[in-house]
Amino acid sequence: MAYDKPLPSPDEQTQPFFDGLREHKLLLQYFPSADHYQYPYSDRCYKDWSTDWEWRESSGNGEVYTWVRMHQLYHPSWKEEIPYTLAVVQLDEGPRMNTNLVNVDVDEIRVGMRVKVMFEDVTDEHTLPKFEPA
Amino acid sequence: MSDPIRGQTAICGLGITEMGKVYGHDASWFAGESIRLAIEDAGLEKDDIDGLLVNPGITGMMGTGISIPLQGYLGLRNLRLLNHMNSFGATASAMVQYAALAVHHGMANYVACIFADAPLQQGGSAGAAYGGAGRRGPTGMASLMPAFGFYGANTSYALAARRYMERYGIANNDLGRVSVAQRRYAVDNPHATMRQPLTLEDYHNSRWIVEPFHLLDCCLVSNGAVCTIVTTAERARDLKSSPAYVWGMGQGHPGNFPHAEIEVGTTSGATVSGETAYRMAGVGPEDVDVCEFYDCYTYTVLRTIEDYGLAKPGEAIGLYPEDPADPEAELPMINTGGGQLSSYYMWGMTPISEGVIQARGSGGDRQVEKHDIVLCSGNGGTLDTHGTLILSPNAN
Repeated sequence: MAYDKPLPSPDEQTQPFFDGLREHKLLLQYFPSADHYQYPYSDRCYKDWSTDWEWRESSGNGEVYTWVRMHQLYHPSWKEEIPYTLAVVQLDEGPRMNTNLVNVDVDEIRVGMRVKVMFEDVTDEHTLPKFEPA
Repeated sequence: MSDPIRGQTAICGLGITEMGKVYGHDASWFAGESIRLAIEDAGLEKDDIDGLLVNPGITGMMGTGISIPLQGYLGLRNLRLLNHMNSFGATASAMVQYAALAVHHGMANYVACIFADAPLQQGGSAGAAYGGAGRRGPTGMASLMPAFGFYGANTSYALAARRYMERYGIANNDLGRVSVAQRRYAVDNPHATMRQPLTLEDYHNSRWIVEPFHLLDCCLVSNGAVCTIVTTAERARDLKSSPAYVWGMGQGHPGNFPHAEIEVGTTSGATVSGETAYRMAGVGPEDVDVCEFYDCYTYTVLRTIEDYGLAKPGEAIGLYPEDPADPEAELPMINTGGGQLSSYYMWGMTPISEGVIQARGSGGDRQVEKHDIVLCSGNGGTLDTHGTLILSPNAN
């Protein structure tokens, strides 16, 4: 069956991030002047307001900051998945990411659990960065 | 030492419309009803109103909310102060604060602060109103949220709650105690939408929304409006209804930065906001008689209690009886009208409206006996913005 869940919709600024996902790379913005990794994308560093930055590949390693089980159906395409696991992952580089936890027994999930990124190619054009136990 | 402005301003009029599944009217209509009720309560005439501050609820994001054109709709021709404000759930406190400062310094005499919303439509679900219905799909990074299945405030608060619960060993039953306690108050509140008594069993049997939240952890969605009229203490004294004097005001906005350097979810702006307001009022947590806290979720109440210094971190649940449904069990003086969980969801105006009622001593069967210091909170975003009002029936 064709993938029918909502798909990411890159814009000009974030296209490189989404292209990175296609290559199974998790890209973060790195702002040298503040030695600061930032996510999600912004055209300015919120620490020192610098606009000078580069894309850097994340290690993809981190830990569960918090997590929930989604039971409410907001979009019909999630009907078969409910309940599914949503999480905020604290990357080792600093930024926190909203994501899904996969390949994990729900009873095992804890705040602080070590996880690593995995790339799910949901369509020929779209890849989502999800996390699984490290 | 309190600030000289303590007790110099007051809420002199309160208008609460019919609340909940009231269909066939838009937000402006509810706003009109609320200001009509508020001037009647204060004993004022329409032309006395010379300030208008408005805050739309979710309909403000759907394009049908109240804004500056409300002035024309209401025919307010004497305005010396006018603004559309939004710091989400903290707005109501902020409106009263800016109104108080303005009347204190003579910029206006009677400022109407109005929250109005009408997201519920006949046949539509409450969740649909807040789940993003009617809004365009996001692009860029934001488009990842629906792609992962993140929807609405229920999700972001559940994430915050989980972190708090794991850190302090708080169980779902504990959240249930907050829900059941507030319902017991709502039973005695004629303005409340949900007045059927509730048990912990009912709580556990209510469906999961976003685990750890059951349905009964989440606030209502309501159509309706609340208007408060702010004036000087001197003017308020001679009006029809007893004033709720403003003793303390504060704000604190930690924002929400997704980075390891900043803890989110287990802290709120109440710490900073509360300190400012306590200092202005010359009181401390030990002086507070009644709390009306923004309770979008059960969890928010526990977090707020602790950030105002009324309990140590992780220990707010200790203020609640094991079984709040037991009529013999003494309830904490918190959210005495049932709050947003059980009475009505008018963003930050829910706590302020009940705070005015309690300060005046007009709470009927739910009136708290000692009500000299009433602490009201507003909270917006996911604990990103915060406002505090300390109200009192006493001018000094």
